[in-house]
Amino acid sequence: MADLKPILLVEDSPKDVELTLAALEQCQLANAVIIARDGAEALDYLFARGIYEKRKTADPAVVLLDLKLPKVDGLEVLEQIKRDAHLKGTPVVMLTSSREERDLVRSYSLGVNAFVVKPVGFEQFFEAIRDLGMFWAVLNEPPPRGSAPRP
Amino acid sequence: MIETPASIADLDLAACEREPIHVPGSIQPHGALFVLDAGGTVTKAAIGALAEGVVAGDPIGRSLVDILPDGARKAVERLDGRLVAGRGPEHLCFLRTDAGAFHLVAHRSGDSIIVELERSLGDEPGSFDEVYPDVRAFLDAVQRTAGIQALADLAAREVRRITGLDRALIYRFDEEWNGEVIAEDNGGRLPVYLDLRWPASDIPAQARELYRLNRLRLIADAHYEPAPIGPDGEAVDLTYSVLRSVSPVHLEYMRNMETMASMSISLLSGDRLWGLISCHHLDPIRVPYHVRAACEFIGQVVSMQIAAHEASALAARRDALRTVQGKLLAHMAAEDHFIDGLLANPTDLMALTGAAGAVVVAGGRCTRLGETPAEADILALVEWLSHQDREDIFSTESLAAEWPPGKALKDLGSGVIAISISQIHDSYLIWFRPELVRTVSWGGDPAKRAELGPDGLRLHPRKSFEIWQETVQLRGRPWHEAELDAAAELRVAIVDIVLRRAEEMAALSERLTAINKELEAFSYSVSHDLRAPFRHIVGYAQLLKKFEGERLSERGDRYIETIIESAISAGQLVDDLLSYSQMGRSTITPVAIDVASMVAEARSNLTMEGDAHRIDWRIGDLAPVRADPVMVRLVVQNLLENALKFSRDREPAVIEIGSEAKADEVVTHVRDNGAGFDMAYVDKLFGVFQRLHREEEFEGTGIGLANVKRIVERHGGRVWAEGELDKGATFFFALPAA
Repeated sequence: MADLKPILLVEDSPKDVELTLAALEQCQLANAVIIARDGAEALDYLFARGIYEKRKTADPAVVLLDLKLPKVDGLEVLEQIKRDAHLKGTPVVMLTSSREERDLVRSYSLGVNAFVVKPVGFEQFFEAIRDLGMFWAVLNEPPPRGSAPRP
Repeated sequence: MIETPASIADLDLAACEREPIHVPGSIQPHGALFVLDAGGTVTKAAIGALAEGVVAGDPIGRSLVDILPDGARKAVERLDGRLVAGRGPEHLCFLRTDAGAFHLVAHRSGDSIIVELERSLGDEPGSFDEVYPDVRAFLDAVQRTAGIQALADLAAREVRRITGLDRALIYRFDEEWNGEVIAEDNGGRLPVYLDLRWPASDIPAQARELYRLNRLRLIADAHYEPAPIGPDGEAVDLTYSVLRSVSPVHLEYMRNMETMASMSISLLSGDRLWGLISCHHLDPIRVPYHVRAACEFIGQVVSMQIAAHEASALAARRDALRTVQGKLLAHMAAEDHFIDGLLANPTDLMALTGAAGAVVVAGGRCTRLGETPAEADILALVEWLSHQDREDIFSTESLAAEWPPGKALKDLGSGVIAISISQIHDSYLIWFRPELVRTVSWGGDPAKRAELGPDGLRLHPRKSFEIWQETVQLRGRPWHEAELDAAAELRVAIVDIVLRRAEEMAALSERLTAINKELEAFSYSVSHDLRAPFRHIVGYAQLLKKFEGERLSERGDRYIETIIESAISAGQLVDDLLSYSQMGRSTITPVAIDVASMVAEARSNLTMEGDAHRIDWRIGDLAPVRADPVMVRLVVQNLLENALKFSRDREPAVIEIGSEAKADEVVTHVRDNGAGFDMAYVDKLFGVFQRLHREEEFEGTGIGLANVKRIVERHGGRVWAEGELDKGATFFFALPAA
């Protein structure tokens, strides 16, 4: 299990972090969850710099990325991931509070792998996280370089 | 100039305009004229029949002092230093000679001095003092007159009384120098000319100029034999001369009128020739010098009065028009659209320019007031106006002269003022005046009253009236300067209003854009930030229930359920509100929509979710519409959902859907037999958060119908409802036909 890649959760709200972790926990996923509290921290982890310069952990199996983030917002994080030759194969799931059409359009144009509107009910959220987490973290092998992954 | 009647008949009337009447080369025969050089030597001279013998021998080359009788010696000495150019003759003395008594007068003409001897009558006043009582009486009477007409009447009466002539007319020029007799005093020996009109050609330009400079002219006998000035008399300017000989054409005119003597006194308003006091006498007559001087004085007083009256009349007219204009502006400002303000007050609108009719053409609409041409003719005129490269105001007395098709409109629109009230659209405010001839003919044809002389005379008042009629045909009464100004000012006011409205609109739209942006930012942040707490409440409550549920009492469990339900419904409310706001912002892509299949789809979605209670669906023919499919799906979904919701306690529920295709729209309706509503509240039905039922009766956020209305209206359609409490409701929506 040690070679399981971690899940990178980028989320500024501690309540959402806790709820997401609870959901992931209930999915009984074995992957470690690394939490970044803003976009800048997420990028530091992804590009192994700043406080993560000497990280031992692997690149994430999946990035669960909130759209509205302090410092660097989710769309920009997404853009940098998808622009990087090494990281662009990493699946990114955009989590947002609402279905703003322009966010959706922009995310897909940047190459997001899934776009999830956080439902008000926890059960639905749990199901969404479970489905996505299972799919990306466990079932899905990272694609060969250069080809886009499909959910 | 040739002077025999036979030759006169061949004269070209138009040549009148060119005739140099101020240098006729001859004088009338009741006196003598001497042209002196600076030293007092006679260089030219004319001796009339009534001055025969006043000098002995040929006066040319001799000093005037030497040739006149001794009585004149003192008067004519050193004249050169005493006379100023550009002034009328100065009375030097009354001279008695063996050849008769004379008035000796002199004036300067260029470098020369012109001395004239006018033969006096035996019993005439020898000085101005003798006519002074008459002048004084006139001055007293003038004080008591009010208005130009009263002044004219008085002047005609007084001049005739003082002179004893048969007829005195007050003749007034219009803007184009046509003339009209506005007052008359008549002793009964000559025909009445009151109200008669003459064309401008009757008194040509150079004659008018002479009248302007020399304010009194006498023709003592229409049959006179002129006395030539010799040698080379043509070179002598007789503008200010009292004996100047007149044009043979004029003498013919007088003979045709059967008036053997005439006297004219000029009336000026400022520098402009306003009119004449025109006197006639059946027989030859010489009006004595001092009587003429009194008349000239009367003329000057009348002139000053006229100038004062005209100035105050102009001011009064402007004042009156300004009052009218103020009223119009107030009307315009009071209306949403200024044009309604104009149209609601036709009397004021026409009074502003003294028009008989007015029309407002705006936005392809033509509204006529008073006497105007037909709409088709007006639109043709507007079409022509819009192609003219002209100023903001167009005015004419004769539309036909500017625009040939205008000839057909002469009875209603010979005079036209048009102001353009919009640069972008062809919008005009146009005033009309009828043809003047028509107006005057209504007052009675003066030609019929003037029963004079045989027909066929070329120069005759009746003939003149005909010529005048030709001159003014196709013309309206001229627009007064104050009226044109009023029209121009109204245009400025209208354009101001239009501009101000446009600016207000621009400012409003700017503000709306800003508000819209703000709203968008607001709803964006609401969508993210307001939803999160509800999500957290639900999330934590559910976690609590999951992990601690077993330890909770039944009551605690119920509390948790309520917390979850409430938070979920609050979250739903936020979602609904957001969708409502998005509905107003998202773009519409209209395509042809098969409403029938959309209804079928919505129906299957709903019945899948719904309970099993019996529903009687009655779906009629549904005509296709042209609209945005995503949005119309929401409308259909919403209305069906509502119908189901409010009829769920009916057994069976009856839901009827049908449509009616009209010319360019389709009205679709959804009818149920459910709870219905009270028509008293129909206005609230489509408002945001408006609910007509209690929450525990029928759930819902109160956004659904607001969304329906918003969507339909964004397509330019209409939505309405009919219902009765407990008897069901019908919702209609009209959308463009496919």
